[in-house]
Amino acid sequence: MVIATAAAADAVHAVAGLPLKAEADNLRFYYGDFQGLKGVSMKLYANKVTALIGPSGCGKSTFLRCFNRMHDLYPGNRYEGEIRLHPDNVNILGRSVDPIEVRMRIGMVFQKPNPFPKSIYDNVAYGLRVRGMKNKAHLDDKVEEALRSAALWEEVKGRLPELAFNLSGGQQQRLCIARALATDPELLLFDEPTSALDPIATASIEELMTELKRRVTILIVTHNMQQAARVSDFTAYMYLGELIEFGDTDQIFIKPMKKETEDYITGRFG
Amino acid sequence: MAGGDHSSKVYDQELETIRSRVLQMGGLVESQFRLAVDAFEAGDLAEAERVVSADRRVNDLEIELDRAVNHVIARRQPTAVDLRLIMGVSRAIPELERIGDEASKIARAVKWMREKQVTVRMPRIPDIRASADLAAALLRRSLDAFARMDVAAAASIIRDDQGVDERFRAILRQLITFMMEDPRTISASIDMVWVAKAIERIGDHSKNIAEHVIFIAAGADVRHASPDEVARLVART
Amino acid sequence: MRIAQPTAVPAVGPQQMQALVAAGRRNQLAFAIIGLACTMFAVLVLLAAFLDLLFDGLPRLSWDFMTSFPSRRAADAGILSAWVGSALVMLVTMLSAVPIGIGAAVYLEEYGGKNWLTDLIEINVTNLAGVPSIVYGLLALGLFVYQFGFGESILTAGLTLALLILPVVIVASREALRAVPGNIREAAYALGATRWQMISGHLLPYSRGGILTGIILGMAEAIGQTAPLIAIGALTFIAFLPPPPLVETAPFISLDWLWAEFTVLPIQMFNWVSRPDRAFQANAAAAGIILLAMCLLMNALAIYIRYQVRKKIKW
Repeated sequence: MVIATAAAADAVHAVAGLPLKAEADNLRFYYGDFQGLKGVSMKLYANKVTALIGPSGCGKSTFLRCFNRMHDLYPGNRYEGEIRLHPDNVNILGRSVDPIEVRMRIGMVFQKPNPFPKSIYDNVAYGLRVRGMKNKAHLDDKVEEALRSAALWEEVKGRLPELAFNLSGGQQQRLCIARALATDPELLLFDEPTSALDPIATASIEELMTELKRRVTILIVTHNMQQAARVSDFTAYMYLGELIEFGDTDQIFIKPMKKETEDYITGRFG
Repeated sequence: MAGGDHSSKVYDQELETIRSRVLQMGGLVESQFRLAVDAFEAGDLAEAERVVSADRRVNDLEIELDRAVNHVIARRQPTAVDLRLIMGVSRAIPELERIGDEASKIARAVKWMREKQVTVRMPRIPDIRASADLAAALLRRSLDAFARMDVAAAASIIRDDQGVDERFRAILRQLITFMMEDPRTISASIDMVWVAKAIERIGDHSKNIAEHVIFIAAGADVRHASPDEVARLVART
Repeated sequence: MRIAQPTAVPAVGPQQMQALVAAGRRNQLAFAIIGLACTMFAVLVLLAAFLDLLFDGLPRLSWDFMTSFPSRRAADAGILSAWVGSALVMLVTMLSAVPIGIGAAVYLEEYGGKNWLTDLIEINVTNLAGVPSIVYGLLALGLFVYQFGFGESILTAGLTLALLILPVVIVASREALRAVPGNIREAAYALGATRWQMISGHLLPYSRGGILTGIILGMAEAIGQTAPLIAIGALTFIAFLPPPPLVETAPFISLDWLWAEFTVLPIQMFNWVSRPDRAFQANAAAAGIILLAMCLLMNALAIYIRYQVRKKIKW
């Protein structure tokens, strides 16, 4: 937002009053000896889309994957600092917190659509079944709800038993979104979700994100700045493992505060 | 301005071309204004004709610049400082174009004055020259501020425009006095009002250009801010 | 930025072009012919061997042949005890090799971790595939026959062959597990699956094609093994069948057959071939046809399974 008067210039970063969904506090991440994240502190506001941008290797995907403890799957990784999830203010990186529990509250959509080689129905129902839901009527309802939320229901409602692989790329990605939504996550992580899709599929996913944020908070990593400008409410610019600037997307794209941010956004980088 | 070049040299070139065209257009209307006031003072009809016909060149530049701006928006999706530059330039172009128009109005007034000068003797009004000099200085300074993206200089222009406004009001009072003393001077006086008004408008347009410079350089929209607020903002940047 | 001007390349005239193309075509033809000749040679040799086998053995194939015990008279000899022995030994082999093989593959792939221990195990597993089969026989002799006291039985034979094909099963299973893309595993984890849920619900089902193929190929190899079984004491002349697995009295399942003495098809063939009587050679050829048929059948089954699975799964 462009500042109307000098007095309003101070108000642009005061987002007090917006509820928080999660907060990273001096987060550091080590892969063996290499430090991938250097003291990142950032707020995620509830029911808003926050975008992470930055050049390759800046740590944005690393940061994203801390939220659902994906790094725990591979040896040699270490976290320091905290990520607190609200409203219960629990540190999801704590040793006493089970990563499985974290992943049940925080879902993820990956870069390349990765549906399971099962039927469409079984894909969406998987997360529910893992949690022990067996009642068929229940499952049917939740599957339909998830597919509707992902704007896929109309296209697949007649062919739920078909293999998920028969869908197009964009449909597969929406299926993965439905699969993640079925378990009612509080926070949804998107890791470059449209980089493998054509422009029309990309547009439909972006449209979907704008709808989805009404029910879930979204954190998206994207290397496409225009996408970040289109879909996000807040944007964070990262470089070499550090958070350089975080702010309202309008402000970042019209008048960023740091020169490094401006250089990257305007293409004067490198 | 943000240092360093774009990864795309062509993009840099496009923005540089836009900047220099703006300055070119500014120089053109500056000289239009100066020649028009000279022609007015000397009653030089030929000079006045040249000013009026040269306005065509200003209009051509306006169209060329708009096209360049559209091209950058369509192709480059400018952001941050580039976006502000494009927005600021697209707002500054019509200001410059109108300065050219005002200069033409002054030149046309020479013709009318010549037609009436034969019959009526007008007392000289020295304030026209002084007021024109002040407005010309404002225009020069605003183009300089644009070239250097100098926020402090732009802020001082905004403040100084008040001087031009005051001078216009003073000229108006003088002319009203003349008209009341001698009704035969009314027609010529009214022509003078148009000239004085044109000069005052040029001062306003220069002030507007300075406001756009502040937007480009500092990201602040000060179009409806008081000079005090502007000064505070400048002190902060 | 100045782009370097291309250096002038001498233009190739149309005649030179044609000469070059013609030369290329001649080379292509030469290689094609050589390749075809080699292939044909290999195929023809195999075909010759096979036809020879068929020619010798086909007349002897009959229902009687399949259901008679070996005998000193060539005309009366049959392979009943041999193919029953082979089948039972294969059963034991399968039941031991499959769980151990898959389990080892899952361990190495999922739980192993990147340390020296896992590397060591991996290297050893792959090397085991190259160990001569007779060595397995000696190992089995010392371990199963004497140390554990299983004796010269079907159980010992089955376990020996299981050891033999274990590397094949492990490697094939590992390859099948590895073929499951990492992002499928991550997707499963991201939905809150535990490691075991991911393995049982995704990894194993998706890799069953490759695993099954590995098992079948291992079995096809095992069915023809002769040396290790001789080492552990398979008999060459058995005129009786092992005790049946189902009995009339409770608990209705008997495991006595595991401890029985036995023979297998390859050994029976070996025995007959060594005899001077030509009629026995024919018997051996007939048995060979059966053995070959079983191998081909298993290979065909493996191919069919692979085809079916590939239709469903497209990574």
